[in-house]
Amino acid sequence: MTTLLEIRNLSKHFDLRLGAFGERGARVHALDDFSVDIAEGETLSIVGESGCGKSTTGFAILNLHHPSGGSVLYKGTDLAQLDEDAMRPFRRDLQIVFQDPYSTLNPRMTIGEALSEPILFHKLASKADLPARLAQLLQDVGLSARFASRYPHELSGGQRQRVAIARALACQPRFIVCDEAISALDVSVQAQILNLLLDLQDKYGLTYLFIAHDLAVVRHISDRVGVMYLGRLAELAPAANLFATPLHPYTRALLSAVPEANPRAPRNRQMLQGEVPSPLAPPPGCRFHTRCPLARGLCRSQTPAFREITPGHLTACHAVTSPTATNWETPA
Amino acid sequence: MEDRPTSLWRDAWKRLRRNKLAVTGLWIVAVLVLVAAIGPWITPYDFLSQNLDARNLPPSLSHLFGTDDLGRDVISRVIYGARTAFLVAVCVTVIALLIGVVLGAIAGFYGGIFDRVMMWFTDMTMSVPQLLLVVVINASLKQPIATWMEGMYLATLNPIWRNSALVDFVLVFGSMALISWPPYARLVRAQVLSIRSRPYVTAARALGLTNRIILLRYVLPNAMGPLIVAVSAGLGTAMVLESAFSFLGVGVNPPTPSWGNMISDGLRVWTNYPHLLIAPAAVLAVVTVAFNFLGDGLNDALNPKGQK
Repeated sequence: MTTLLEIRNLSKHFDLRLGAFGERGARVHALDDFSVDIAEGETLSIVGESGCGKSTTGFAILNLHHPSGGSVLYKGTDLAQLDEDAMRPFRRDLQIVFQDPYSTLNPRMTIGEALSEPILFHKLASKADLPARLAQLLQDVGLSARFASRYPHELSGGQRQRVAIARALACQPRFIVCDEAISALDVSVQAQILNLLLDLQDKYGLTYLFIAHDLAVVRHISDRVGVMYLGRLAELAPAANLFATPLHPYTRALLSAVPEANPRAPRNRQMLQGEVPSPLAPPPGCRFHTRCPLARGLCRSQTPAFREITPGHLTACHAVTSPTATNWETPA
Repeated sequence: MEDRPTSLWRDAWKRLRRNKLAVTGLWIVAVLVLVAAIGPWITPYDFLSQNLDARNLPPSLSHLFGTDDLGRDVISRVIYGARTAFLVAVCVTVIALLIGVVLGAIAGFYGGIFDRVMMWFTDMTMSVPQLLLVVVINASLKQPIATWMEGMYLATLNPIWRNSALVDFVLVFGSMALISWPPYARLVRAQVLSIRSRPYVTAARALGLTNRIILLRYVLPNAMGPLIVAVSAGLGTAMVLESAFSFLGVGVNPPTPSWGNMISDGLRVWTNYPHLLIAPAAVLAVVTVAFNFLGDGLNDALNPKGQK
């Protein structure tokens, strides 16, 4: 397996000016020290609650938000250093599908125009081949060719999301960020779009960064899953491992909150106390320590390193040392 | 789903056609535009020819709106006034729109220092009293321009430089455009600011499209709705403004007919000859109301979400 993207210590901070006259500066720590290698053809999912920086991760990798630090190595080039013009040739390979199907398409353009734009701009087909290419793209996403003359407001949410996927495919990309790409759809449509994404992955050898908050979906489609909390990656593991033996206390709490089909099944809910702290002033040390049942002195002062506990299963926690013998029961 | 694809514009047109007031406004405006356009062929009399034997006649079959104190036919002058009004309104609005759209789009799209400087400039322009600015421009520029035109005439002997109405129009267009662009700039900037953060604009960036394409094909077309409404209202306002300035003597000067200077003339004698005041004032009022109806209708048609 070859590495497609090598992401190292990627960070994104947003500087704000607060107060009536903008006299107080403040910094939102949306993403800190995000490091992961994304392999060609894999599906890496990022989960976490709202505001944890999942979407920022996708935007920072694609340089849609210029990263504040770190690097994104693609084909030997650090994308994080590139400005808009230098980035342009790489944009073709790295695409994104957004959450809201209602605002993802330009309401003044027909579907055909929307899909032609990247094809003509990157000269991926001649004017003469364009209709055939459009028909092919629409067919790829399960729509008939006559949709090309339609406007977005004439389509359903699921159809629009298919068009958004077709638009990403129009560039013939290698990597697609699916930023909550199915969250806004009906459950029945979610499954269709999910299957479509998986079919396209097989057909074109695509690599996905799948940003989501639905753990059941993530479990179904991912090769690896990363769990984020307050701008930092808490745990990263192959999907089966993560769901079978979650290591990080936050992951355990998160998984214990997944609804069960059987209401009488015995459950061991772990309720977290308190609220997520503000990313304007993230707690020092481990960002989870304010709510962690295992927190101790070290956690309050020192940021935990991202360590490999079992092969391929990494977590950032001082308390977890091995998959079995955690200090779970005996907080110091 | 009917089989013909419907663009948002076509949808808006359908909604506009269902709005009776807006259609009425549109008809009135259309008729006036037509009358202004074919004015020279339908006026019963020359608007300048004086007939001192027929002064201050009340409305009759031979003079529908009567005659004024120099024996000129009032309806002919009102029709020519419509030409003046539309010419001024369209030219001023086009100039103001050009300035406003360019500045507003650049400020909103690129943001940063660009945005701040342009908005200072806009606020500064808005803070100058409009009437004062127009009076100052007229007072300070009229003579130099007239002198310059006289010079051009002597140099070229082209009679176009002898046309004193041209000076009026240049000054009226210029000064009114100068005070009319800030609302357009602000409107466009606000629209662009809200549209540039929509996912389809981000998607366009992710596709690698250039800023120029994104601004022209993704941002501006979606900012058009409120702008069209503003232009419709702006045309009406510009007509009123032109009349107001002409009324005060800083706009179009006699003998070129303008509703404003006709109202001004009529006002002095209205107790004896009310038709001299009523004719131009009524036409001005009807056009203004028509533009407002049309603007409201456009607003409802282009922003259907605002309704129940």
